[in-house]
Amino acid sequence: MRMTLKAALMLGTLLSGASASAQEITVWDWKSSDPLSVPYYQKAKEVFEAKNPGVTINYVMQPNDQYYTLLGTALSSNSGPDLFLMNGGAQAKARFGALMKLDDKIADIKGDLVGWEEFSDASGAYAIPLSIQGFVIYYNKKLYSDAGLDPAKPPRTWAELTKVCDAIKAKGDVPCFAMGNKEGFGIEFWLSAIAATSWTAQQQADFAAGKLKWSDAPVREILQSWVDANANGWFQQGANSTAKFMDEYEGFMRSESANTIGLISDVAHWKQFDEFLEPANLGVYPMPSPTVAADKTEAAPKFPLAGGIGYGINKASANADLAVEFAKVLASPELEQIFFNDAGAVAANSKVDTAGVKSPAAIEILKIMGTSGAPMAHANATAKELEEIHRLSQLLLNGETTVDEAAKRMDAVQAEARK
Amino acid sequence: MGSPAERRIALLFIAPALLLVGVFRIFPLAWGFVLSFFDSDGMTKFEFVGLGNYVALASDNAFRDSVENTLILIATLPIWVALPMLLAILIHQGVPGGGFFRAVYFFPAVLSSVIIGSIFNMVLRFDGSLNAMLKAVGLVPVDWLGSGTTALFVLFSVHLWSTFGMSLLIFMAGLSTVPKELIEAARLDGAKPLQIWWHVMIPVLRPIIEFVGVVTTIGALTSMFGLIYVLTAGGPGTSTALPEFLIWLEQGKMNRPGYAAAISMLLFSLMAGLAYVQIRIMSKNANL
Repeated sequence: MRMTLKAALMLGTLLSGASASAQEITVWDWKSSDPLSVPYYQKAKEVFEAKNPGVTINYVMQPNDQYYTLLGTALSSNSGPDLFLMNGGAQAKARFGALMKLDDKIADIKGDLVGWEEFSDASGAYAIPLSIQGFVIYYNKKLYSDAGLDPAKPPRTWAELTKVCDAIKAKGDVPCFAMGNKEGFGIEFWLSAIAATSWTAQQQADFAAGKLKWSDAPVREILQSWVDANANGWFQQGANSTAKFMDEYEGFMRSESANTIGLISDVAHWKQFDEFLEPANLGVYPMPSPTVAADKTEAAPKFPLAGGIGYGINKASANADLAVEFAKVLASPELEQIFFNDAGAVAANSKVDTAGVKSPAAIEILKIMGTSGAPMAHANATAKELEEIHRLSQLLLNGETTVDEAAKRMDAVQAEARK
Repeated sequence: MGSPAERRIALLFIAPALLLVGVFRIFPLAWGFVLSFFDSDGMTKFEFVGLGNYVALASDNAFRDSVENTLILIATLPIWVALPMLLAILIHQGVPGGGFFRAVYFFPAVLSSVIIGSIFNMVLRFDGSLNAMLKAVGLVPVDWLGSGTTALFVLFSVHLWSTFGMSLLIFMAGLSTVPKELIEAARLDGAKPLQIWWHVMIPVLRPIIEFVGVVTTIGALTSMFGLIYVLTAGGPGTSTALPEFLIWLEQGKMNRPGYAAAISMLLFSLMAGLAYVQIRIMSKNANL
């Protein structure tokens, strides 16, 4: 018996020694098993493991809708991954406390990448951006033609957009906008898309700092436009029971609506829509705004553009340096090229070659990105404000509250959240 | 009382169960209680706020609405008990196809709430099959899940549909204990079927009714998360938010485990009160 115990102890020691010499980097995300992203993630693993013999990459893909719940639980119990994917803005910033500050480790790549703002605060950067995210209006050219509109001339002003929606409504086949607001994401997209043109740079900064109140005219007007658009029949019926991801977009891809506010990377983007609607049938334009800020031009609307997703390093990781190296591989030009080509993600790495892209919608997005980007307003609101506006936006659509009441309530939540 | 050796063996046998209850029930409960006095982000912030979370709950609109929804749910309890009881009595009295109905009624009880939610999502969404049927017969479609006037009752109805089969089985078991002589005697005395129901069967079923009432309430307050998550996400507004959904929201989306723990403690207190009532009822009925 004593001999057996000794043998077991020795075996255990040997095994633990073996596991100590074979390092494993655990990576959490919600994309690595997505068929479009698999080539990118597999190549990154191969490149890194070839450079670092004995180190293996272990991808753990978590369900998208439970991702931050699982991540929060793992981090709070000190069992989090070595590095993990995050959405830029509020989601990333809420987790800076658990992340390693990266400034002294990213000097070699900082100039190559854009989108750092969404992963940084005044003290420095906490994650390495992978993609650029933005909201643009995608439209179905055939439905425009059917309604007697010129599909080559998308609306540039609010008056033109109103004419477009009036024509589509008069035709009566489909709603002007697909709208999914079951989780309240519809209002986030609406707010940011319109604020890009209707707010000055200073107002964007004030909103991010909590100084621009929800009851102030620039924000209140956007809430009013949300109500008016619904009242004028621009949105599909049943928006409050339609999930934005992906019921809204699946409807758009089935040609059940003429326009939708979509993304430029990840999902609900040009690559996905091209496959269903055919590239020649898909158009794109920045959202016009009912009011135009003093530093903007009415016929040249802006669109919200920001760091999309990025990898942060768990500051409790025992393999932090290797994790940083792996994040750099993921953000390298050769890997980001695969991410762009296969998954349609607009890469954060400016060295990615986009000259070969064939999609007319992608070409248009890449063209306007250089001149039309603006801050993504909703990403600069607090989590409390977003949760409350999700709820109030549904009540606004149902007529169960007024814009004034909603704005007043949002002011209170904003003040509470910014304490 | 056995010998010390027997007591040691007994302890050994119950130790695994005690350990599991301690690790997975008692410790998390105690930890949740402690956490409810802290303002925490679950990562680095861990600040003692005393009763601050409980005070904040008092002025939290979403929590207040979820409590109102809970009270509405409790107010509908008679339906949750009466429906399976009436159907059980009908089956017990030998309606044609009783065995078939018993199986059909019980079938949803074996499905998970997420599957049930997904099925009813397809039926009840604005472009779903129920509205297609309404339109086909010339009626106006309704946004069942997106309107504040219908969403809560739709949610309750779906949960009732999915769980009443279990209550029906309990009533069936209870009905099998009703002495046939009693019913026969009532019938010979000239009692009509409704009088037999009201004056004979329901009084005999009283302990079962109380038991089903308590179990149903606890089930409805603690196992509707899956349905809410899939069907309405708590909306529109807060019209279908129940405390258990808010716990997930505060913990998972808002990153506020301390606040979520405070809601959990209040929900636990309510459940503990109901469990106490249940135990009292079961003790009282032990000799019936």
